[in-house]
Amino acid sequence: METAIKTNTLKDKLLSQFESSKNSLFGNLQLRERAIESFATLGIHNRKCEEYKYVNIDLMLKGEFAFIYEKLISGKQIEHTKFLKDAINIAIVNGVFNEGLSNIKSLPKGLQIINIAEATSNETFQKHYSKYADVNSDSFIALNTTLANGGVFICIAKGSIIETPIHIINISSTKENIIINSRNLIVVEANSQVRFIESFETIDSSAKTFTNSLTEMVIEDNAVVDYYKIQDEKEVGYLVNTTQVNQAKQSVFNTNTITLSGSLVRNNLNIVLDGEHIETHLNGLYLTNGNQVVDNHTLVDHRKPNCNSNELYKGIIEDKSSATFNGKIYVRKDAQKTNAFQSNKNILLSDDGTINTKPQLEIYADDVKCSHGTSTGKLDADKIFYLRARGLSETSAKKLLMHAFASEVVDTIKIEALREYVEEKISKRFE
Amino acid sequence: MANEILAEQISKEYEYGFVTDIESDNLPKGLNEGVIRLISNKKNEPEWMLEYRLKAYGHWLTMEEPHWAHVSYPKPDFQNIIYYSVPKQKKQLNSLDEVDPELLKTYEKLGISMEEQKRLSGVESRIAVDFVMDSVSVKTTFKETLAEKGIIFCSFGEAVQEHPELVKKYMSSVVPYTDNFYAALNSAVFTDGSFCYIPKGVRCPMELSTYFRINSAGTGQFERTLIVADEDSYVSYLEGCTAPMRDENQLHAAVVEIVAHKNAEVKYSTVQNWYPGDREGKGGIFNFVTKRGICLEDNSKISWTQVETGSAVTWKYPSVILKGDNSVGEFYSVAVTNNYQQADTGTKMMHLGKNTRSTIISKGISAGFSNNSYRGLVRISKGATNARNFSQCDSLLMGDKCGAHTYPYIEIKDKSGIVEHEATTSKIGEDQLFYCKSRGIDNEKAIGLIVNGYCKEVLNKLPMEFAVEAQKLLAVSLEGSVG
Repeated sequence: METAIKTNTLKDKLLSQFESSKNSLFGNLQLRERAIESFATLGIHNRKCEEYKYVNIDLMLKGEFAFIYEKLISGKQIEHTKFLKDAINIAIVNGVFNEGLSNIKSLPKGLQIINIAEATSNETFQKHYSKYADVNSDSFIALNTTLANGGVFICIAKGSIIETPIHIINISSTKENIIINSRNLIVVEANSQVRFIESFETIDSSAKTFTNSLTEMVIEDNAVVDYYKIQDEKEVGYLVNTTQVNQAKQSVFNTNTITLSGSLVRNNLNIVLDGEHIETHLNGLYLTNGNQVVDNHTLVDHRKPNCNSNELYKGIIEDKSSATFNGKIYVRKDAQKTNAFQSNKNILLSDDGTINTKPQLEIYADDVKCSHGTSTGKLDADKIFYLRARGLSETSAKKLLMHAFASEVVDTIKIEALREYVEEKISKRFE
Repeated sequence: MANEILAEQISKEYEYGFVTDIESDNLPKGLNEGVIRLISNKKNEPEWMLEYRLKAYGHWLTMEEPHWAHVSYPKPDFQNIIYYSVPKQKKQLNSLDEVDPELLKTYEKLGISMEEQKRLSGVESRIAVDFVMDSVSVKTTFKETLAEKGIIFCSFGEAVQEHPELVKKYMSSVVPYTDNFYAALNSAVFTDGSFCYIPKGVRCPMELSTYFRINSAGTGQFERTLIVADEDSYVSYLEGCTAPMRDENQLHAAVVEIVAHKNAEVKYSTVQNWYPGDREGKGGIFNFVTKRGICLEDNSKISWTQVETGSAVTWKYPSVILKGDNSVGEFYSVAVTNNYQQADTGTKMMHLGKNTRSTIISKGISAGFSNNSYRGLVRISKGATNARNFSQCDSLLMGDKCGAHTYPYIEIKDKSGIVEHEATTSKIGEDQLFYCKSRGIDNEKAIGLIVNGYCKEVLNKLPMEFAVEAQKLLAVSLEGSVG
């Protein structure tokens, strides 16, 4: 199983990895074969692909990679990753669900958490698995569908209100370079309510981890979902994180993506508004430094009338890091009375940093209100002056302004303990 | 029908023995090295020009047609195009009664004079010739005034003959033949165009217009324009006209280059109203243009203003490279699409120098089944300190079958840069329409009024005589699109 691969033929190695391991993977083999066909045609996206113009993933994946690295982790080691006192913790170590490290013994009524590899006979699983993330649209979706070997299946039954937040902890820990393909399916049935936190962390790692993680989420009628993502993988982490959300009528989805570290973070957040009177809020914050590359892609697909979507992404860029925001609002012909707003704001603190932003509107219905705005600049000299005139040092004035800038996104976090955790992380960062 | 008449005309002339003339001035369809050599030969070009064409052609062969724009159209067959021809003999009509009444209606609405109407529709070629003669004389008088100031304004072919040193120095310095597929094609096969040079310290006393060029009708397809403004000079240049142009050439691939030296200012205005195809989207011009200016030295300024209402497919990004410190780039655009028209247009502002500023105002209006996209790039390079950009792109949708899209690209590599972008998409407000109607203004007029108000920021930038016509043109282009 420990097939070491070279990146110059990374694609070929991935293809042959599938051949050698296909009989041990869970689920429908035909589906995986369809996916690999698509991956074989798409290849790993490089700069020539418009959607991956600003992030050279091919180049970043230089070196040898293994597919599986088994490492024993004690509960004590991951204690700090369980930063919420009151939460249902799900530990996924190197892409595979680890029941021993999770605490899912006594779950509230209506909540079901199963290792995805053991969920294949579940009816709900079969109904939804791989129905939303299109393997032909993106090579990382195709790759994940082909090689996924772990993750969780979570189902919230009709009408259940899950008070305790569910925390999915993705931990990578390795001594040699690995590729992880983890996959989750979350089904939130009608009239239910739930809150998720998904965090990405590395523990005791000395080698590169390339995580290609994919979450499909189905939100049925009237359901309300909050979904927070905290990405903090340090410089060993290379992450492509795809989230495919399908919303049914009158549902509400709030999401927050906080990127704190990681050599490469690419977020693909695709939300389909497939019903009337849907509400969607997307928020994001990225603080980049070093040689970090962060790329946030969002797609909000308005398919039906009378929906609202609101997007706010903010970033602070330091050192030689580069950040990209690419947001697309797609309003289809039938989606009249759509309200869609998008805003992206950046602060560039260094001359070696780069910001690329591309807020897009693609609109085919006339009775809509859509707008987007983006601005990039430095810290306002007037504001610094104001604070300095009141006795603050220059550094603390700048710190205060950066805090204020970030807080617009952080304040949208509704779980207080999580908000405090993020605030603390940000404060440390600005030290 | 037109072809039959044309064929008839040609065969008629055959009888009268004009055979040599026609045969020698019309190359067969298709493109190869021989054709390029012939074009160059016919234009009596120096060796370096031919070499340039051949290099461009060699490069073009290695290129693939681009497909990234949000437009779809049948791929032009590049071997089915005549790359060099004399102006086509237009069908001779005896009176305006024979002219397509729809065309006449449009002329009337635009307020074009009878004389001009006749010329534009090809009635009585004698008058037409007179008119052209008129414009020749007008042009000659103009030319004298211009020559006094040392301004060179002539056809590209003339410039190659008479001012080879200038052409050699500036041509291809802004848009190299390697730039893109259609720029390479144009560099290989361009037949004519205009050349303009404003010497040091001269303020051009009049709006230079291609309107007065004698054979403008025939050189449209692969046109090449080069404008050079030397230190401390100013020129305002107009291209196109508001009258609808029925052109037989389906593919237009022009190149426009502007060079602005120290403290120079160039203002370039375009009104484009080529044949957009019929109501079902059949026919119409493909307009794939490469326009770019460079603010080469400090304190220079280039401003693009465009009103795009015609063509079936428009694909055009007038750009400014802000190389000199304190240079300024501006882009003001109104793009209207109706029926099955498609437009993918916008600009690029490349900030290289310090304290450079750019402004982008784009107003898109889509109606019918059309698609209208704004695609723009603002790039602030490393070292371009205190660069500033403001962009605003608004889209107006009329009807539920059309699309309006915005694709801004913003790339910033300098911390002192400040970039702002705003875009909105909406439809004409019911209350605005109601307000107008309740005051006795009919639907069509009300729409014209609202649209003109919406585009005012851009229309204000047009030279006076253009602005009035452009306003009417907007109303005409959108006729019947609402209500």
